[in-house]
Amino acid sequence: MALDRKIAYINLTTGDVEVKPIPLDVRKKYIGGRGLDAYLLLNHSKKGCDPLGPANPLIVSGGILTATCASATARTHIMAKSPLTGLLGSANMGGFFAPEMAWAGFHHLVIKGKAKTPVYLFIKNGTIEIRDAQDIWGKTTTDTQWAIQEELNDQEVKSLVIGPAGENLVVFANVMTGIKNAGGRTGMGAVMGSKNLKAIACRGTMDIKIAHPVEALEYNKRFIDQITSAKVNKTQGTLGTPMIWGATNSWGGVRTRNFQYNQCEYADDIEPENIDEICEETMGPYHMAGCFGCQVHCRAQYRIPSGPLKGTYDEGPEYTSQGAFGGEPDTPRAETVLVGNHLVDQYGMDNLEVGSLISWAMELYEKGIITSKDTDGLDLRFGNDEALLEMVERICYRKGKVADTLAMGGIPASKIFGKNSFDYLIQVKGMSNLHSDERATPALALNVATSSRGSDHLRSRPAIDLYHLPEKVLHKIYGNPVAYKGKLSSEHTEYIGKAWQVFWQENCYMGVDCLGICKYHTTFLGATLPNFEDWPKVLYYNTGLEFTPKELWDISERCNMLERLFNIREGLTRDDLEKGDMLNHRYFDEPCLRGAPDVVGMMINKKKFVKMIDEFYEHKGLDKNGNPKPETLKRLEIQNEPSHML
Amino acid sequence: METKDKVLMINPEKCTGCRLCELVCAVKHDGFSNPARSRIRVMKWEMDGVYIPMACQQCQDAPCMGVCPANAISRNDELNIIEVDYDKCIGCRSCVAVCPFGAMGFNSIDRKVFKCDLCDGDPQCVRFCEVQAIEYVDADDVAVLKKQTAAAKLHATSGKVALKTA
Amino acid sequence: MAIDDKKLSGAESLRKTRTYGKFRCHNPTCMGRLEPKPGDKHVKCPICKCEFRVAWIRPDFPRIRGPVWEVNKKIAEEAFKKKMEGK
Repeated sequence: MALDRKIAYINLTTGDVEVKPIPLDVRKKYIGGRGLDAYLLLNHSKKGCDPLGPANPLIVSGGILTATCASATARTHIMAKSPLTGLLGSANMGGFFAPEMAWAGFHHLVIKGKAKTPVYLFIKNGTIEIRDAQDIWGKTTTDTQWAIQEELNDQEVKSLVIGPAGENLVVFANVMTGIKNAGGRTGMGAVMGSKNLKAIACRGTMDIKIAHPVEALEYNKRFIDQITSAKVNKTQGTLGTPMIWGATNSWGGVRTRNFQYNQCEYADDIEPENIDEICEETMGPYHMAGCFGCQVHCRAQYRIPSGPLKGTYDEGPEYTSQGAFGGEPDTPRAETVLVGNHLVDQYGMDNLEVGSLISWAMELYEKGIITSKDTDGLDLRFGNDEALLEMVERICYRKGKVADTLAMGGIPASKIFGKNSFDYLIQVKGMSNLHSDERATPALALNVATSSRGSDHLRSRPAIDLYHLPEKVLHKIYGNPVAYKGKLSSEHTEYIGKAWQVFWQENCYMGVDCLGICKYHTTFLGATLPNFEDWPKVLYYNTGLEFTPKELWDISERCNMLERLFNIREGLTRDDLEKGDMLNHRYFDEPCLRGAPDVVGMMINKKKFVKMIDEFYEHKGLDKNGNPKPETLKRLEIQNEPSHML
Repeated sequence: METKDKVLMINPEKCTGCRLCELVCAVKHDGFSNPARSRIRVMKWEMDGVYIPMACQQCQDAPCMGVCPANAISRNDELNIIEVDYDKCIGCRSCVAVCPFGAMGFNSIDRKVFKCDLCDGDPQCVRFCEVQAIEYVDADDVAVLKKQTAAAKLHATSGKVALKTA
Repeated sequence: MAIDDKKLSGAESLRKTRTYGKFRCHNPTCMGRLEPKPGDKHVKCPICKCEFRVAWIRPDFPRIRGPVWEVNKKIAEEAFKKKMEGK
């Protein structure tokens, strides 16, 4: 049974390991994956704990459906207090790690303490071993994985690892598995590094019993058909996430030169179709790869086509890498994007944070706030491909003043750079924004401002808001499983009803993250993809647990509130520019200069935006300051948290 | 009775490495999710992006059948499969050792050997593989289909217009 | 278990509205329906006059590859000037 997968508590200081079952009543309240992780974090961390100290629990999990007969149950979730934001740390990645961990007997790991010397965990069929990692310390993310496979003499071992950036405590270091699957955000790699934990290796051959195998198999066929037939997923399967770049840059939604422009002009070289041609030339006609059990296959394979690293194999690049190494620094050249993508994969750093911070530094350099003296002579101007790639390496190894400062994260760096450097930093809660420019899309701006893990596009983004769906269709989507009586607007420029859409998406994404399935398999980029109404079937056939759509909605709302409770405990306040639900002033002051005729001149209306936040808080059951009302906690049955059931 | 002379045709180039075939194979046969129970396995060279699904070839002169000391393995001509008679099987695993493809497995939970049975004519790996890296085709057609693909490649390298292939 | 397997969910029922062969103009509030002829490499929006380069995912499945820069840049610059004058 998926339900008999266990939770393990591992203390790296003492070497103690304790294994417990996950009680059914806990499952029914928090399901698993990210939701249950939020419960564990709130229960196992103390207020104000040092994110890079031994007391910060690192939680690694799969969802309740991980490795069951449901489509793309490949996601691994990692949670801890973030060294980047000082608030909730949370990262989610595809690949093959979580299923292997489930076959090895575990759904959740809670790792505390700090090992004296570098170690890695080896989990096999219910047993957990702490092994010496001194020989693999210092290795890149892929070399680490191959070295572990070799040491264990088993090619089937799947590892979640950190690269040199995590070891060097770069606060936006990520965790990686496979070639390029990254738990990218909020610096979970630095948390691992602070524990002297180089990797978690899994190998499992334990059965997961499917509750109703015949029905599960048949429903999975229908589920997959629903997912792969979406136009957006057909495109993903051909071009990968770069397909988003094509459209977004075309209308002017890509921030360029940090935040000076909203479109990277003449960026034809990094257009998805061009990247696809490079993939085809270097890897042949069938160059798309998939995560576990997924038929969308959105991961492109490529070899670097030219330059000093010519012939090097990697995967991706995703939409984020196009922005990080193409648009934001204004270096729209395919080789630069592919090499930048490769470097962050190898070093184990969040491409988004790296690209955003370097572009911010470029603007500071342009404005004279940092000088070539600070950069050790590196000409950190926009459009300088070599400087950009050099900075990636410098940040990983913390070489030189500027790179070492950036490695501390944007807000601490702004305090060191001084002057008005903070004004140019495009961040929320200390985490950099994706390179998407939300000035023309209030709903997306609200999502970025209120996301629980700092600025983020994968927590509550109503991306389909840009499709101008008829209001009737919007009500069909956003009025289920809880009716919404207010107005919903087909206009992406509007502020009406957007707070509800963001609230709905927040619950929807929490739902998939609890199940452990991919966001491309729910209402994210396509309107016809499965959500609350479809999930009870896949849950019942696979686990035997019965839920109504409304019950799943309630669970999602509950888990989101747990994340909010954690953030409030760690200092979240509504309007704080460093720790609050607020955007950089440039969203409200600087109009879009490029893009489609309807986009130019657009910016966010602050008054309407603040009203949207009020509305969003109301939907969530928060007071005006963003704190949960007592009746909300009671309704969600979390008035007594932390309750220490696990 | 009409005999089925159909085989699995695997095109590794098309495989995305997702291993859904392993999942559905295990669920279909045993009701469990567990790749160790799957009759088909995807072998991977991740550092080069190479994925190759491996399954039983239902050999004409099957080494597993020849080596079996209990005569538990035989050819079912109706379905064109090599099958194991578990009433006769003694679990010696000679067949596992001798198979040149590693296609005969041993399940250490049930203590039994297992192999592909083409799902009695409706192979689930084929049904679920959207990219058609595994197809279920007439044995006669395999070579023709491969000829077509190879010929199209030759045509393309001669600099002419690309052709549509199956 | 009260699972009605035959019933289509809301998301599934929306599938019948899907159209191949067409897309919408990238000018967000314009959203004009554009239907390039098979193989077309360019398309011009009859409403807002923006021009786009077209790529084909499948022979029946086109998408916008990107703007025709010279054309759309000019339209955007004029629109921006007009908006700023209006302020």
